[in-house]
Parts: sequence; C-alpha cells; structure tokens
Amino acid sequence: MKTDWKAGPNELVLMMSQLPVPYFTLSSRAVHGIAACLALALAAGVTLAYAAETQIFDPKTHKWVEYDRKKARSYYAAHKQVPETFRRQVVKFRTAEKPGTIIIDGNQHFLYLVQPGFTAIRYGIGVGREGFGWAGIVRVGRTAEWPTWTPPAEMVARDPNAAKWAGGQPGGPDNPLGARALYLYQGNQDTIYRIHGTPEPWTIGLDVSSGCIRMNNDDIIDLHSRIEVGAKVIVLMQGASLYKGV
Amino acid sequence: MTRNVALRLSGTLMLLVSCGTSFAADLIVGMPNWPSGQASANIIKFGIEKELGLDVEVREMGTLTIFAGLDAGEVDVHPEVWLPNLDSLVKRYVDDKKTVKLSPKEVAATQGMCATRETADKYGIKDIADLSDPDKTSVLDTDGDGQGEIWIGAETWSSTTIERIRAESYGYAKTVKLLEMPEDVAMAAVDAASATNEPIVFYCYSPHHVFDLHDIVQLTEPKHDDGKWKIVLPSDDPAGWLSKSSAPVGWAPSHFQIAFATKTAERLPKVASFLSRIDFTAKEVTEMSYALQVEKQDPAAFAQKWIATHEDRLESWTK
Repeated sequence: MKTDWKAGPNELVLMMSQLPVPYFTLSSRAVHGIAACLALALAAGVTLAYAAETQIFDPKTHKWVEYDRKKARSYYAAHKQVPETFRRQVVKFRTAEKPGTIIIDGNQHFLYLVQPGFTAIRYGIGVGREGFGWAGIVRVGRTAEWPTWTPPAEMVARDPNAAKWAGGQPGGPDNPLGARALYLYQGNQDTIYRIHGTPEPWTIGLDVSSGCIRMNNDDIIDLHSRIEVGAKVIVLMQGASLYKGV
Repeated sequence: MTRNVALRLSGTLMLLVSCGTSFAADLIVGMPNWPSGQASANIIKFGIEKELGLDVEVREMGTLTIFAGLDAGEVDVHPEVWLPNLDSLVKRYVDDKKTVKLSPKEVAATQGMCATRETADKYGIKDIADLSDPDKTSVLDTDGDGQGEIWIGAETWSSTTIERIRAESYGYAKTVKLLEMPEDVAMAAVDAASATNEPIVFYCYSPHHVFDLHDIVQLTEPKHDDGKWKIVLPSDDPAGWLSKSSAPVGWAPSHFQIAFATKTAERLPKVASFLSRIDFTAKEVTEMSYALQVEKQDPAAFAQKWIATHEDRLESWTK
C-alpha cells in the first residue's frame, strides 16, 4: 500500500508496507467487524500495541527511512497537526454520487464527503493495518456524540486497563472512540463498523490497528455536523483486499 | 449488455402484477431501471404526445416483463433492447412468434477494459497484453501485496463471468487480482483514483457517463473472432465452465434498439413509423446517462427539455 505524502515544505513520500489481507465473505463480515473493533480498541487502549510497517522517503537524503508510530507522534508533537495531505480540505472530486455521500479510500487514507459542484471535503483517516477486510455500500444508521466505549469481555479478562472500564468508559477526550461515532449499517443491521474519533490524532494516515475508520476529533465533529442519518457510505476496494459482494 | 440481464430480471417478478392492470393511455412504454433507458422512454412518450397527439404512459418494469407485455399486447414499447445480450428473447418473440418488432436503427455499444488516461500515458498500460506484465500492473496494487487489482464487474452480471474467462484466456488472471463488486463502488474508485492521479484499470461499457466524468481510454485488444469465442456459462457447467471456456479476443460489437409490439404497429402505424426512425447517437445516450445519473435530473423533465431543443429531430422522426 502506498501513500504519497506531501508534508508541506519537507514533502515526504510515505510508503506503507502491509501484511497480506485476509479474505472475508459477507457471512463472516460481521464476525470480522467485531474482531476488527476489538483490535481497534486494543490499539487505542494499549499504547504502541501495533506498529505500522512503514517507510518514508526523505527527499533530502534520497533514502527510505523507517517510519513508525513513534515518529508519527514526533511529527505531530513538532507540528501540532498531521501532515498537510491528511488535513481537512476541499478538493476537486468528479463523481456521479450525490452530495452528502461518503466515500472511503483506505489505501490513500482519505475520506471524501461529496459536495455540490464536483468538489468534496477530504479528511485524513487512520485505518486497520490490514485495511478493512471488506468493501461495499453501507449507510450511516445512527450517530453518537462522545460515545461510551465498552471493552469486550475478552479484553476485560486479559487487560487490567480495559478491566476498569468493564461497565463502559464514559465519553470524553481519553475515550478510544473520540468525540463522535457514525455507526455503519447494512439495511437495518449494524455492521459493527464505525467511523469515529480518536484520542491519538497522530495515527491519522497510518495503518496501526484493524477495522474501524478513525479521524481526529475536530474532523469527526465536522463530518458529523454535515451528514444526515441515512447517508450513503461507499468503502472502496482499495486496501480492502479481495471482495465478494455486499 | 450481458451484465444488465440479471439486474434487469430482478424487477421482473415484482412488476408482473402491475402488467395485468387496465390503463386508459393510448400507448404504454415500458421503462427499464437504468438511466438512458429512463430518459429515452420519456423522450418517446413526450415525442409521440407532441407529434402524434396520443396519450402515452411510461411505466417502470423489468425487461422480461416488458417483453411478456409486448407479446400479450399489454405493453407497446421497449426503449432499449441490448444485443447480443437479449438474443434469446429476440429469437423467441421477434423471430419465432413474430409478436415483437425491432426498430432498424441501432445504437452502437462497446465493452472491454478501460483505464484513466493517466494510467495509459504515465504507466504504459494501453493494451490488454500489458495486464499480463506484472512489472506494469504492480502500480495497480492497493492492498500491499505487490499484485495489482482490477474490477471486472458486479457479481450478478453475466458479463463478469465472461470477463473472468477473458482474464484467464489472456493470462492476466495470474498477474492481477480480479475484483467483483457493485458498480457504484467501482465508479467511486475511479472517481478517487482520478482525484489523486492514481492509476486504475476497470471493466467498462459505453454509452456510459464515466466517459464524460473522466478522461477514460479503452485498452486495445485483438478484434472479436467468433471462432475464438468459446463461452461456457457456470449455469451450464458449474464445475468446468472456466476450464472449458476460452475468449482471448475482444467482445463482439454490441448495440441496442427500440422494440415495439407487432399489434401496436398494426393498430398505430404512425407510431411504428416514428419509433423506427428514432436515431439516438451513442453521444446522446451518454448525455442522457450523465444528465440522470450525475446531474440527478428528473427523467420526465429531462425528456421535455430534450424535446424542446431537438424539434428538427422530432420532425424527421414524424415524416
């Protein structure tokens, strides 16, 4: 997986190298969704649980250098924001989809909210280290502000940090789900996938956990304010590995 | 087009009931569920109402239902019959039963593999043979395994089966991963690739609005040869269809035509004459698809506007 990362004046190229992505059929998707969000919660709750296998191209030395979560955090600490390409911006976007539709490109770590006049608001996203494991068309079934995070039983059993939130961690700046959550439904059924905020904004642009789609809190608040329940969400095959229909 | 058959069948059963109802209109035009079919059905309606003074009703229904209605005298017109995809229906109703007639005017259609111009120019993927070169197709990799991916159609389309056969026959089934998914997902991927200048290759057919949305080129490939086109469908041989099939050449030229009931032609010869003169161009059909799919124009409103700005065409169809 490759991402061209134009980070302002220093213009870096970010190369994501990933593990082979597992193949999921529709019937196993919900199961995978649970697993994906478990992994997400684990990554959010246990610092540096997953390090992305990533390299960046340094135009000064013309060498590929190792890039990991720690360096992403350093970049964020130095600049107080993610690299320019992952910041919220209006871009030209020619599409037949109507305004209000969300298109998620996991490969390039972008989420597009289609706007009138062949434009879109583009947000940077963090995705799973194995992509999503699925692609297709879903919809925003419901949304929540400062959602409560309840760790799964398995995590409570093995992780003391999670165990203290066995009854649910109230929404707030430290909550793994961040400021807002958009719950993705297929028909009337919750897919278990969410687009949500994160207390770790430096992870935007990386593949550090699995499953759900993360945005920094400012962006998920912005997106949440612009969309309507029922909005069409298209998850592209990029980064989603093999796909076998929704 | 083959891909449309399954989709167009899906609405058939649901709409069978409505066909039995009585109607007061002079003429019933069946309207399929794809954009150009919706636009042309409405252009036929408003054109006939304006030029011939008849009351015309447009009614949405699946292709099989329309053909059954044409056969039974309950529906008068099908605005867009794709061939060779619907060859079997044409044989049954046009050739054998002679209850349906086809307009002599055809709109040419194509299908094959396409790429954005960026993909062709910058990455050198211009011919179908390039898909068998892993050095070239590695740029199409989007999941990090070093192998490119291409969309070959929706899971339900008959054309997807044939695209898989073609990929095996040409050899690129070994060098790229073949993806099946709904068309909206594939088209959104083309949108995203175009927005970021990333390469992409995908199954395409025309007339289609994607050619107006983006700068798209069709990959060159050997011309169709009936002698090399051996298709065994999964329904005929679930286990051996792929190994028994071979199609290392391009698709046969496709086209679509207006169909109308023989009874309608006898009852209203001026209508038959009008329908037989309608000569939409491929460019016009693409514009219809674009207007309804991209610009979200209402089919009836679009048709009325089209009629108002194409009076000369209407006159030529009426003569």
